[in-house]
This record gives sequence, C-alpha cells and structure tokens, in this order.
Amino acid sequence: MAVSSDTSQKYDLGFARWVYQNVKGGDKLSMCMQCGACSGSCPIGTEMDHGPRKLIMMVRAGMKEAVFQSNTLWNCTSCYRCTVRCPRGIPVTHVVQGLAAKAVALGYASEVDTARFAHSFWWSVTHFGRTDERLVTAKYYFSFGFIAGIKKSLDNLKIALGMVMKGRMHVGLPHKVSDNKGLRAILEKATEIEMRDKQGGAES
Amino acid sequence: MNQGPASQTILVVGGGIAGITAAVEAAETGYEVILLEQSPALGGRVSAFSRYFPKLCHPTCGLEINYQRIRKNPRIKVITMAKVESLSGQAGDYTVLVKTKPRYVNEKCTACGDCAKATDVRVSNSFNYGMDKVSAAYLPHEHAYPQKFVIAPEVIDTPDADNIKAACKYGAVDLDDTESVFELKIGAVIWATGWKPYDATKITPYSYGASPDIINNLEMERLAAHDGPTGGKILRPSNGEPAKRVALIQCAGSRDTNHLPYCSRICCLGSMKHAVYVREQYTDAVVDIYYIDIRAHDRLEAFYRRVSADPQVNFIKSKPGHVEIEEDGTPVVCGEDTISREVYARSYDLVVLALGMEPSALTDTDAPHMGSRDDYGFIVPLPGDEPGLSSAGVAGGPLDVSMSVQSATAAALSAIQAVRKATAQSGALE
Repeated sequence: MAVSSDTSQKYDLGFARWVYQNVKGGDKLSMCMQCGACSGSCPIGTEMDHGPRKLIMMVRAGMKEAVFQSNTLWNCTSCYRCTVRCPRGIPVTHVVQGLAAKAVALGYASEVDTARFAHSFWWSVTHFGRTDERLVTAKYYFSFGFIAGIKKSLDNLKIALGMVMKGRMHVGLPHKVSDNKGLRAILEKATEIEMRDKQGGAES
Repeated sequence: MNQGPASQTILVVGGGIAGITAAVEAAETGYEVILLEQSPALGGRVSAFSRYFPKLCHPTCGLEINYQRIRKNPRIKVITMAKVESLSGQAGDYTVLVKTKPRYVNEKCTACGDCAKATDVRVSNSFNYGMDKVSAAYLPHEHAYPQKFVIAPEVIDTPDADNIKAACKYGAVDLDDTESVFELKIGAVIWATGWKPYDATKITPYSYGASPDIINNLEMERLAAHDGPTGGKILRPSNGEPAKRVALIQCAGSRDTNHLPYCSRICCLGSMKHAVYVREQYTDAVVDIYYIDIRAHDRLEAFYRRVSADPQVNFIKSKPGHVEIEEDGTPVVCGEDTISREVYARSYDLVVLALGMEPSALTDTDAPHMGSRDDYGFIVPLPGDEPGLSSAGVAGGPLDVSMSVQSATAAALSAIQAVRKATAQSGALE
C-alpha cells in the first residue's frame, strides 16, 4: 500500500481491513469491546499518547496517519500484561509490535525517537552480538545529525562519567560474542526464512 | 412399551427459589413431588440476599409465601441435607439413589435455641460465607425452613455433643443419626441445582484474598443484611470502620475468555443495588461502579436511571486492569477510564468484585447423569432429547430471580407433560 503524504485525509476506510489482513494478530481486532483492560494494565500506560485500547479504536476508525505516528507503538515494553488480561483473547502486544514493524516499513518511524533507539540497539546486536551502552547511545545521538550528536553527548557526559566511576559502564573494546561469524549466519538465515514466509503469503 | 405402571412422582433437585417454585407449581397441579435440598434449609442463594432488585424488597417475604404453600400441600415431601447419588432409567421410570447426611436433630425440635447455649464450640457460618462463626448447634438462619437446628459434625463424639443433648428439653437431639442411602421411583426430574460464584482467587490481578477489604458480591449482600456478620452495617472487614469509599468492579471473571466467557446477567443490577445499600447508610459515601457496559434491560433500566441520578454514585466505563494493595492494606483500583483516557489508581475502603455465576453442578465430579449440558456446563436438555429431565432457574443458565421463577414454572410443565406421556404409553392411564 502506498503511503499517502496527504495528512488532511484523516480517515482511510480501508485501513482497518488492511490491518486485519497484514498485521500479526490484526484479524482479532474486530473482537475488541473497548473495555480498557489493556491500557489500564499497561505499566507505562501513562507514557503513551493513546494506549492500546484507543489505538485499536483508531485502527478501526481508519486513522492511519495517527496510528503510525503514535508513540504507543514504540513505548511498548513487551511485558504482555495486556495480552494475558484481554478478556477477548486479542494478542494486543503482537498487534502493537506488528503495527510498529509496518510503521518502519512504510517510512513513518524515522521521526520517532524510540524507533531511532530501537534501530541503534538492533545495529549493536547485529554487529557485536551484544549491546554496548556507549555504541548504542552514540549511534542513537548521532542519528539526529552530527552537531546534535555532539551536543547530546556532551549533555550526558556527566552521567556517563558517573557510570564509569561506579563500574556501571564498560571501558575498552566493545563486548563481542565469541562466534560473530556464526551469529551473522544465524541472522542471515532468519532473514531468509522471514522473506520466504512473507512471499509464501504467511502471516507477516 | 408396557413396562408396568409408570411413576407420576416428580423429583425436584435443589431447594432454592427455582426448585421451590417448580415443586409448588407441580404439586398444586395435583402431582406428587419430592423436593431435595443438600443444605439443612430451603431458600438457596436468595435467602442469603439482603434485598431484591429493582424494588429493594426483602427476599424473606416471597420465600415465606412459598414455605406456606409447601407446608399446606400434602403432596410435597421435602428432604434436606440430601444429594442425588445416581440416576437411571427413562421418563416415567427413573430410579434415583439419594444419600442424606445426618442432622442429629429430629422433628421434635422447636428451635428454642437451648442447645446452642450448651456448647462453646464455634464453627464457620456458611450462611455468611464464613465471615463469622456460629455455635456448633445452630439454626441455619433465622428464616430457615424447616425451622430445625443442626448439629455440626465437628462436635459429634465429643463431650459437647452430650451437653447439647442434655440441654434439649424435647428429646430432639439424636446423636445416633447416620448417613442414609435410599432409592426413589420417579417419573420426571427437574434439576434446580443453581449456581455458585466464580472462584475470585482465579482472577489474580484483582487480588481477592490479598486484603480483607476486597470482597465479592455475595459477601456484600451479607454485609448489608440485618442478620449478617455486621448486623447490616457496611463496615470494612479489616478494621470495622464504615466503608465510605467503595469500588464496585463489574464483570469480575465474566465476559472474559480467560474465565467465564458469558454474561451473568444479574451483576450490573446487583451492583447498582449495592451502591444503594452504601448510599442509604452513609450520606457522605462515594461509590464508583467500574463497568464495560451496563446491562439493565427493559424495565430494569428505570433502576439504572434512579441510581445514576445520585451524584455520589459514579459510573466509570472501564474494566480495571488490576487491584494493588498499599502497605497499610488499602486496596487501590488501577485502570484506564475509556471515556476520558485517564489512567487512574484510586484507593478505596472497600472493593466489591461482581462475580459471575457458574453452574453448581459443574465441578461436582460425582454428579449423576443430568441431561444435556451446554458449553459452559449449564443443564439445557434439548426438546425431545430426554423428556423426563428438565432444568429450572440458574441450573439452566444465568437468570435473575423473576426469570428463575418463570423458568421453574416452565420446567414444572415439562415434567408434568413427561410423566403424563410416559403413563399413557405404559397403558396405565385411560
């Protein structure tokens, strides 16, 4: 589906159906009765602009732009409380994460801070098999541009030094898994399987 | 089809409002009826309610009228403390095995109460759902029918039992009473086995059991009842202080695929009634009702309008996520208000979980054959499936009291039709 840059079009009447068919667990969204158990159970619900319940309603209402721009997609910590407690058996966590994946694929995520962070995190994992605090933060800060990166780094220098002093931040070469080549091979295989499943029409 | 004369006797299993109604209706039509009740007194769940919705009258009134009808009708035989062990046969020719537990008190009992004073042993009071204790020689409750005491098995074979026996002026205490098993020849059976509340401890996020101030809707009825553990005052079980900030949580375990997938129909009205109980007692009380939808159909909507007109009763459209417990034991209800999008955490004096109805016979592993059941365990014999078996009241599905009474009348008619048809086929009639 093409991305519409026309934000004046607030309701995309085909959006709900598209989500039902293309987002993992989306086919269960029609079961939602808007009880609020998911948003009320969310440990960081107060940090979300909409929360899962409202997000589901927005999907059904066809508010495509607002859904993909929502921070709810990115603040989810995958604790699965919503999924466990949903009285209608909706895999809420999967839906939220599925929408986040679609937001990346459709180019909505580049402007979202949490998405930038997730991207930096993934970069560290794929390159080293580990997350290195310094590299993840640096990658994240500099994703805002060179000058912004320097500024953000300086702003947080005190915290970083404090962490080093307390032994909470590693100094020296980045941690690595011993078999980095093997990790690469695993990730390549996983990507290959994912692509094959997508082409085979399996749930994305 | 000639198998000898068919039985026209109708067996009603369960002496709650539905069973009583079915028994009285069938007997007043001219049929012999045996009414079995597993507890020591009739009345079932209804007798433990403080008041009915929507008129807020006392259940004792309706029950008393029915007890009079039973007392005056020689065709009804009431057997308490009895359970059906097994059932076999077909319409017009069922063989039912019944087992009774000993009451240790015979028909000479005048309910004078001298026996209760003869012992210091206290046992959990099941009528008040274990919220208080009663003497080991007890009347099940003040409106018990039959008005006969019961002696708890805990004191049998102890010196207290002899003291109880010695205290009785009428020779009504029979310590040699034993369990008995006997057979009945029955034409048709009406299952009026009723319901039990869903086990609240299974709804772990709602912390039932973690604080004494989180109770269920049936316990709330007892708190409000004049013969309940607090004499009718709605007090916090933790410290006995008045409960003035009260949260009523709807659909606790109902309409939930993790628990009971169906709506129990009565809880919305029941909780609105609880709001009235609280507001009648305390002018400064605030009651918050957390709900998914308010299901007050037809004329019951007038009750909803009446309760929602009270500015100190708040209807909050939200299924709470969980109930947390503060360090001092205060329950805190957490969730999202789906209208305002506010994520709240509010503390209360008392949290009442509106538990749904589960069929009583569901988890009874040695239950006899009762006819067809639906996916949830309610007994809904299909027409023509087994004409001699029918169900009345909540045994067949969630119903309120008035609908239970209607279903009981319908069940009485099915049973009458079944025995008449069986009798005609056996050639004993005409």
